[in-house]
Amino acid sequence: MNIVVCLKQVPDTETQIKIGPDNKSIVTDDIKWVINPYDEFGVEEALQLKEKFGGEVTVVGMGPKRVTESIRTALAMGADKGILITDDALEGSDSLATAKALAAVLKDLEYDLIFTGQRGVDDDMGVVGPALAELLGIPNLSLIVKVEAAEDGKSVKVNRPVEGETLVIESSLPALITAQKGLNEPRYASLPGIMKAKKKPLEEKTLGDLGLDAAQFGEGARKLKILEMTPPPERAAGKIVEGETPQEKAAELAKLLHEEAKVF
Amino acid sequence: MAERFISERNLKFMLYEVFDVEALTRYPYYQEHDREIFDLVLTTALRMGKDLLQPALQEMDKNPPQFVDGQVKVHPMVRPFMKQCGEGGWIGAGAPFELGGQQFPLMISAAFRFILAAANYSASVYPLLTSGAAHLITSFGTREMIRTYVPKMFAGEWQGTMALTEPQAGSSLSDITTLAVPTDQGYYRMHGQKIFISAGAHDGVENVIHLLLARIKGAPPGVKGISLFVVPNKRMQEGGGLIPNDVNVSGVYHKLGYRGSPITQLSLGERDDCRGYLVGEPHRGLSYMFQMMNEARIDVGLGAAAIASAAYYAALEYARDRIQGRRLSAKDPTTPPVPIIAHPDVKRMLLFQRAVVEGSLSLILQCAQYADRMRVTDGEEKEDLHLLLDLLTPAAKTYPSEMGILSVSQGLQCLGGYGYCDEFPLEQFYRDARIHPIHEGTTGIQGLDLLGRKVIMQEGRALVLFCKEMEKTIRSGEEFAVLDPYAQRLKQALEKLKTITSHLVRLGEQKGAECFLADATLYLELFGIIAVAWQWLVQAVSVQRAFKEDLSDGERNFYQGKWYACRFFFHYELPKIEGLSRRLLESNGLTVEMKEAFFGD
Repeated sequence: MNIVVCLKQVPDTETQIKIGPDNKSIVTDDIKWVINPYDEFGVEEALQLKEKFGGEVTVVGMGPKRVTESIRTALAMGADKGILITDDALEGSDSLATAKALAAVLKDLEYDLIFTGQRGVDDDMGVVGPALAELLGIPNLSLIVKVEAAEDGKSVKVNRPVEGETLVIESSLPALITAQKGLNEPRYASLPGIMKAKKKPLEEKTLGDLGLDAAQFGEGARKLKILEMTPPPERAAGKIVEGETPQEKAAELAKLLHEEAKVF
Repeated sequence: MAERFISERNLKFMLYEVFDVEALTRYPYYQEHDREIFDLVLTTALRMGKDLLQPALQEMDKNPPQFVDGQVKVHPMVRPFMKQCGEGGWIGAGAPFELGGQQFPLMISAAFRFILAAANYSASVYPLLTSGAAHLITSFGTREMIRTYVPKMFAGEWQGTMALTEPQAGSSLSDITTLAVPTDQGYYRMHGQKIFISAGAHDGVENVIHLLLARIKGAPPGVKGISLFVVPNKRMQEGGGLIPNDVNVSGVYHKLGYRGSPITQLSLGERDDCRGYLVGEPHRGLSYMFQMMNEARIDVGLGAAAIASAAYYAALEYARDRIQGRRLSAKDPTTPPVPIIAHPDVKRMLLFQRAVVEGSLSLILQCAQYADRMRVTDGEEKEDLHLLLDLLTPAAKTYPSEMGILSVSQGLQCLGGYGYCDEFPLEQFYRDARIHPIHEGTTGIQGLDLLGRKVIMQEGRALVLFCKEMEKTIRSGEEFAVLDPYAQRLKQALEKLKTITSHLVRLGEQKGAECFLADATLYLELFGIIAVAWQWLVQAVSVQRAFKEDLSDGERNFYQGKWYACRFFFHYELPKIEGLSRRLLESNGLTVEMKEAFFGD
């Protein structure tokens, strides 16, 4: 079973994010970059399927050269090869453009399954996976927490949680799965894995290599414009519920929840 | 609970900018490695620390190992963690490729251990002890021994230990009495008691392998009659399978801190069926064991610095959040109060911690660098590196251990009353840190080792080499106008060290060994402060070089922080040698003359 995992590099959630002077972007200096956690679930699931069915796992990333580190991490976890789409003209691309670039790489690859994260933890758009499936004309199985491939490797049965219930979906292959938290616990890279990773192929491709027109990418081609970024409002101070007895306090709390917080 | 326990930026500064670990990759032995690999190791260690170890930190303290029906039950995370360390190749990381290792430089292994130990010291000790014990087998054991034990140990299935201490012989190893009676079957029958054996038995692994010191029946007294044995808790049966080897746990101790790892008392040969297998030549056990001990001693320093690092980041987080008091200059009581980090005395406490943590880490990585270079050099150069490593080991163990306690204490102090309560991790760190001046040779023993052996060996050649290393750094410092005053301070401290050393040697010649060594611990304290001052100057040179580059705000803040911590050390810590040197230059053997009878009332 050949599997492709699309991987985005995002700021570590522990990094303190600063908004840039243009009020439309973040300052990227001093950011620690990591694999988007949802994509990491995709890497792990792909590796588990490969261990069962054989085949190859290819990791595809897009962005500046630093994304190589994240692809290498996935190779150290056990993926077989990596492809990085990197081109100055890609800077500032929106999700649809990203999906287009990924689709261009994928059309030349043999795959049974594609994993993306259900969303990137930076922009929280959740568009790339479905858009990519659409561009490739394959089924999109979104927000998946369990994947079972048929013994013959020709179809998958997947679980998606819906309102406390589980929706079980069966699909023919090839298909695209967007990974949700709960799918698995991603493994740690092993030391032999790390040593082997640097010998594994990691190819770089420009828009030109993919036969794409640079004018359709980057800031200028965005269909979705960012008008302004603002930091979240500062958390207001908490309130201590006063009262002589627990009963009084409970009554006061109920009143506050009703009148101020308006939760009921 | 504070999330951060180490600074990744600082580790990278040390590894790449100060000690240039990448330079090693020019040698054939390390040529398979590069920075990308090292970075991946650090990233993985940070993830393991954060996801696997830190969540169990308090639990392991609150639920220490239990001794039930002759079995030692440890926290359930130990088994998967050991498995993870084994499968990930982390236990054998430093071993050569042909032994199943990855030939990792010690500097990188040390960084890896530092991260794990800062996340959860007790847990980090299980794989660490196993690495050390396996290294002893690969260094001095037979092929058969290596084949039997090392793969299982590297896989994290079998635990390794070092078993030296006995009820009547702790610091004085020459008095150990565990007996090994030869048989004509190729093994020895072992009889005796061992105490304080870390991870000596537990249910997180299938088997425990002790590297154990004992005397062969009829051996000469003292250290010249001590041999090294492999003694497994379960031995291989002919035809496969494991059977008990008559190693009996007689109890686990209840400890002040470091509670996640059991220390056990072992009774060998109660049924006359405990088999030990001689490692190397008879009667040379102590010299073999010293290889493991020297590594273990540096690891103790590393563990101490790691706990102090975790305490520092917990204190820092609190100091930034806790609003209390107004600036000393503020006269109006209605002005809003400030976070306590605004107060100079709190900043002093934080800077003290940084000065200790990062100074200690630097000294340890310096030792690791010497060890790594030893592997790729030969002849006189190798011998020199060996001597430097030997000389610095007592300081690399003791400075972080003793000062780590004070550092954690200052971290706890930043939290005031909360620091004393178990809602915050500081009180645990304080208890955890207390072991370090005790295990792997107490501070007293380290003092004797430094002054009584290391300083005077080969007519003081190690000390001469150390002075040369410091002079080299002083010259680098003199090239920067802002560093020159600190280079001069270090130069004066170095002169003081030379004067005191000659004074003590002369005193020894005149008044004997008791007077010579009576204040060896003070000498070690002085030596440690000077060695760490040297390391701060080493770091400061890299900092000043970085200031010449175009830096982002975050990077500039990092180097500024370093520069303040460096100056803090020179202004607040280095002057402490004045009091020590005053005492060390006196010649009265006050403690020698004090009599037991005078202590009574």
